[in-house]
Amino acid sequence: MREAYKTQAEIVKVLRNSGFVSGERVSASLGVSRTAVWKHIESLRLMGYSIDATPSKGYRLNPPASPLFNAVEVASLLSTEFVGRDITWHDSVASTNIMAKEAARDGALEGAAIVADSQTLGKGRMGRRWVSPAGVNLYTSIVLRPTFPPTDAHHLTFVSAVALATTADEFLGKGQGSLKWPNDLLLDSKKAGGILLEMDSDIDRVNFVIVGLGVNLNMKGRMFPAELRNIATSFLERGVKPIDRAMFTARLYRNMEIWYKRYMGEGFLPVIAAWRGFFRSEGKPVKVACHDRVVEGICLGLDDNGALLVRTASGDTQRVVSGDMSEASQRHQ
Amino acid sequence: MDIKDLKALYKFIKDTDITEIELDDFDGKGKVKLKRGQGAQPVAVQALQRAATPPAAPREEKPVVEAVSVKPDNIKIVTSPMVGTFYRAASPEAQAFVEIGSVVKSGAPLCIIEAMKLMNEVEAELGGKIVSILVENGQPVEYGEPLFHIET
Repeated sequence: MREAYKTQAEIVKVLRNSGFVSGERVSASLGVSRTAVWKHIESLRLMGYSIDATPSKGYRLNPPASPLFNAVEVASLLSTEFVGRDITWHDSVASTNIMAKEAARDGALEGAAIVADSQTLGKGRMGRRWVSPAGVNLYTSIVLRPTFPPTDAHHLTFVSAVALATTADEFLGKGQGSLKWPNDLLLDSKKAGGILLEMDSDIDRVNFVIVGLGVNLNMKGRMFPAELRNIATSFLERGVKPIDRAMFTARLYRNMEIWYKRYMGEGFLPVIAAWRGFFRSEGKPVKVACHDRVVEGICLGLDDNGALLVRTASGDTQRVVSGDMSEASQRHQ
Repeated sequence: MDIKDLKALYKFIKDTDITEIELDDFDGKGKVKLKRGQGAQPVAVQALQRAATPPAAPREEKPVVEAVSVKPDNIKIVTSPMVGTFYRAASPEAQAFVEIGSVVKSGAPLCIIEAMKLMNEVEAELGGKIVSILVENGQPVEYGEPLFHIET
């Protein structure tokens, strides 16, 4: 049976921007009974949808007082084949990546997504926290099941980074989003989004990859912990109107799908070319904090496998695959 | 037999309880005997001679890890599924997933390999006891590089 939220999303799509629509037409276009439609309308109202119902004219969806953010709303705005076609929604969760891993182990299909309004243990790189308050941001994890070998899996870091930066530009205007190697979204040189990928693989085969994205959309400056205020920002802090989170999620899923399909079809070069278009640190002095050393020098950009190239003072070129990059002139992490 | 083969063999027994190993036919290249000393020299090469008669047909060159699979059958080698950085813990403050002597169940996390923010948690395919950890925390690893020996 189709999950209730998907039927409800179909109802929202039929009613959106349509004036009154008769119950008969809604039930016919969805293939469910008029009684079922009525029950779904009741559920939608409980979620905050304002829907008028009159016996003679049918149903009418009123514009919401404030944008809604739930599985129904995201699904009603989606235009993808597989990314986000199955959404599991949580008001609060430890970490969407943990939930997505569990779902993937239980057989979740490619593109299945977990979305949470807040996270209590949002994950960053190497056990760091991702500050994840409710009501303002996007925290989502997507299950992918690529057919390429594990050795290529880090390419998905760049696929997802390009998707996120592209989405940022769609909302803020071209050239607003930039990327820090390998995959942090920067707005005005401050971090507004992070991506953490976790893979489950055998030696020659990827079982699944979880792409976890945290995006600071409508978080206000004072909501950031003091130690993050100089290095983190949100879309709202960029001075534009609040972002419709459901719309952002739907667009992000669409861009994920576009770039993932492109990568699977055309390989890594178009991805890395697009990534370079969002990279502003080439030619600048950078520092990369690796596990047991710091690489300092002039950033030479990326090689064709995504590794960061840094020319050090001694004149040799170092190739970095893991570490935290920052521009030396700034105080980023 | 060359110095690389010997090094690989040395590396293999160095972190184990093995004190002496003798192979009559080391990957078709001859006879080798390594003995772990008590003092300053952990391993001494006791004897090394060419096999009297080389194999009739030329053998396919096999990776070194294959060569040491003449070790007891109950030792399983866990290898890296990708190029990246080897981490023994989920975060710098966290405890290592395993130590030498740890007994793990099948599916237990052993380490994380990171490449460009993609984290690959390597799990034990079979349960057993960790008898050697072959890579230092934070070091780069290659595809197929041996990471752990598990006694099953």
